[in-house]
Amino acid sequence: MADTRVLQNVLRDEQRLPSVPEPGVMVIFGASGDLTSRKLVPALYDLAAQRRLPLEFAMVGISRTEMSHEEFRSKLRKTLEEQRSGEVSDDVWESFSNGIFYMPGDSKKTETYDELKELLKKLDSERGTQGNRAFYLSSSPSLFPAIVQHLGESGMNAEENGAWSRLVVEKPFGRDLKSAEELNAELQRYFGETQIYRIDHYLGKETVQNILALRFSNGIFEPIWNQHFVDHVQITVAEDIGVGTRGAFYEEAGALRDIVQNHVMQVLCLTAMEPPVAFDAESVREEKVKVLKAVRPIPEDDVESYAVRGQYERGWVWGEEVPGYREEENVDSESVRETFVALKLFVDNWRWAGVPFYIRAGKRMPKKATEVAIQFHASPHTPFARDDTEGLEPNVLVVRVQPEEGLSLKIGAKVPGSGFEVSSVNMDLLYGTAFLEEAPDAYQRLLLDLMLGDPTLFIRADEAEGAWKILDPVMDRWSRERHVSFYPAGTWGPGEADDLLSQDGREWRRP
Amino acid sequence: MIGESRRAPGGGRMSIGQIEHELGRLRTNGDGTLALRSSVLNLIVVTDEESANEITTSVSKLAGRYPARALVFVADPEGESNVDVGLSAFCHARGGGGAQVCAEQITIRAEGPPAAHLESLAGPLLIPDLPVFLWYPGSFSPYSPEFAAMAELADRVILDSAASEDYEVCLREIAKLVEDPATPAIGDLQWVGLSPWRSLLADTFGAPERVGELEKIERVEVLYAPGGENRALLLIGWLASTLGWKPERATRNDGDQTVEFSGPSGDISVELSPDSPDARLRRIRLYSEEYSFQVSRHRAFSDVRTTVMRGEDLLAERTVHIGSFDLGVLVGEEMGYRGHDEAYGATLRTAVEVLDL
Repeated sequence: MADTRVLQNVLRDEQRLPSVPEPGVMVIFGASGDLTSRKLVPALYDLAAQRRLPLEFAMVGISRTEMSHEEFRSKLRKTLEEQRSGEVSDDVWESFSNGIFYMPGDSKKTETYDELKELLKKLDSERGTQGNRAFYLSSSPSLFPAIVQHLGESGMNAEENGAWSRLVVEKPFGRDLKSAEELNAELQRYFGETQIYRIDHYLGKETVQNILALRFSNGIFEPIWNQHFVDHVQITVAEDIGVGTRGAFYEEAGALRDIVQNHVMQVLCLTAMEPPVAFDAESVREEKVKVLKAVRPIPEDDVESYAVRGQYERGWVWGEEVPGYREEENVDSESVRETFVALKLFVDNWRWAGVPFYIRAGKRMPKKATEVAIQFHASPHTPFARDDTEGLEPNVLVVRVQPEEGLSLKIGAKVPGSGFEVSSVNMDLLYGTAFLEEAPDAYQRLLLDLMLGDPTLFIRADEAEGAWKILDPVMDRWSRERHVSFYPAGTWGPGEADDLLSQDGREWRRP
Repeated sequence: MIGESRRAPGGGRMSIGQIEHELGRLRTNGDGTLALRSSVLNLIVVTDEESANEITTSVSKLAGRYPARALVFVADPEGESNVDVGLSAFCHARGGGGAQVCAEQITIRAEGPPAAHLESLAGPLLIPDLPVFLWYPGSFSPYSPEFAAMAELADRVILDSAASEDYEVCLREIAKLVEDPATPAIGDLQWVGLSPWRSLLADTFGAPERVGELEKIERVEVLYAPGGENRALLLIGWLASTLGWKPERATRNDGDQTVEFSGPSGDISVELSPDSPDARLRRIRLYSEEYSFQVSRHRAFSDVRTTVMRGEDLLAERTVHIGSFDLGVLVGEEMGYRGHDEAYGATLRTAVEVLDL
């Protein structure tokens, strides 16, 4: 009788040893680009050096540039050395880079995939990669459909004999709802949704994951996390830098596509979602999608009551005079592309009915700051003499993602003295600085999850589409109009953004 | 990491109230603002005068990962009755806001009779609601009333099975402690130091076609340095308990030791040889009929090389960092784990069975 036991590596079967992925190969399309040398390879190198990659691991880079394996390896090593001078071990690099291969090829041509298939087969037998593959699309988004089609037609999408085949897609996931649906349909023609890993590195950040930890591991916040207690929510994702050398890209994208559709919507989901039943891919993503579905559609004929677009002008940031957006490299001198977005959204469900979510995201703000501020209702009645409580404001709970990760709570306290003067005090907890250790890089975390087959921190198709659906009316309207509100660099956005709140009797907080 | 050590002047015997007050004062910054205290646990260390400085360094390093209130006891039961308290804080600023966060250390030198009642000094100084780790960096007497009284305060006790002169006695004692339901969870720094080795060895069987070889292991060789005996023994204890090998016979020859095991699919012979001058563990090699699996220190000592061979063919090879064996790092690893470590318990049992042969 045949031996039918499933053999297990019992040596690994222990909770104190780290999980290490199964043998496999990562194929990177667009490998001559910056992402590969600056992010992916350093993350993989660190994983390898820290004993988190399987012994049988290989990486194949593909792009049109003619290069030998050796040239590719030394190019990668050079960038790695630039990032951490003197910290790259010769021996570790050598053994890691022995598993790096390069294949010049046009990703639109069938021959490329025939050649790739041969190479992967060879690696399976020579390096023991077991037929497991992750295809990382780091090329221009316009090539995604062609690559996926060729991978599918050459059969490399198939998961046979227990081997896996995964597809990693970098943002942007389309540029509006229609193109996102088309892209998803293209991907899903050849790969099942469980094989697709849409990566938004923002979700790989420890600090972003900490929003979940804060909400769902602390029983005291959840009971007040709803419309009974919360007046409104402010989400800020501010950067102090300008568009820099990415002018051409920004002209195409703008803040709405660059930050709001992905990062900001993720923060909104994590803030507003219901507790997932488990921290696994389907439970977490299901709850996030429910939030997106519950967001009230913005009426296209009344966009201005819900959305403001701004663009920075020349101004001063941190003691330095900086050019306006229209003066930046590769930017049209009459561009109306937004570098700032303010939105008012409502999440129409039981928990959040009637609670506005004010969102602002932009470049060239006074400082880099990401935070979620939950403003609670004012106390219904104050027993203290009115004059003595002037300046007493409602409680605000701020979850700060950066710069200093932490939590602050504004509370009323008695000012020492004979009367009963009450004033607001900020209680600041820097839970980020409680742990001095550097958090692992977001790509390290996500690449490891990818190889371990855990898609919890990746974006599902309906999540990407849900976020576009919310923003589509705004984008439609803005694409037809040439009005943009200006703000001097180094300020918190145009006056219209303030009006968005003041018409509701509220104001933006200063992060 | 920007850090600053602050020390309170004076010393001598202080009241609990004075200690708390002085610690609060230490958190006051030069500009009059108050630094935050950040603590995720209490750490009690029991050590001697000789090691006190090294321990203080490790404790301040630990503050980065596990900010704690550290109580360092320098105990000398021999001297005249005396208690002397020293206070310091390790404060750091991070990020743009310039806010300071401090971790505290209370060093108590106890001489004479108070040295036998450290629990009466430790208990009142613990921060409420936070777990308590008790660390004995050096030798310890597990059956003494002093140890039992301190262990009662703790959620986890961290020991070093190589700290005592006779590692065999030490392993037997820890094995008994681990089995005792009254003792809190036990961690052993020698076991933590084995984690990278265990993980790398597990990696060599990561390919499905080689998993089956685990059942066909016939021979194991371990090279270690003098002082590394117990780590070598723990490594073998782990392999044997995980793979179901039963110790049968042991023979010694010029310092080398051969241990015979009977496994589910045959006999296994393990050779332990003390001929590495520099690393506690130098190399481990597993042989099946067709394959050999090896993890060994590389010429650069921070690195370790893994190979898998079939006959003369090199099937897989890799060099990675072995990681740090710094005392602070090992203790930090131990603090990341809560609860009883079943694998360690099983390993110890097997190691003691080997010692009993």
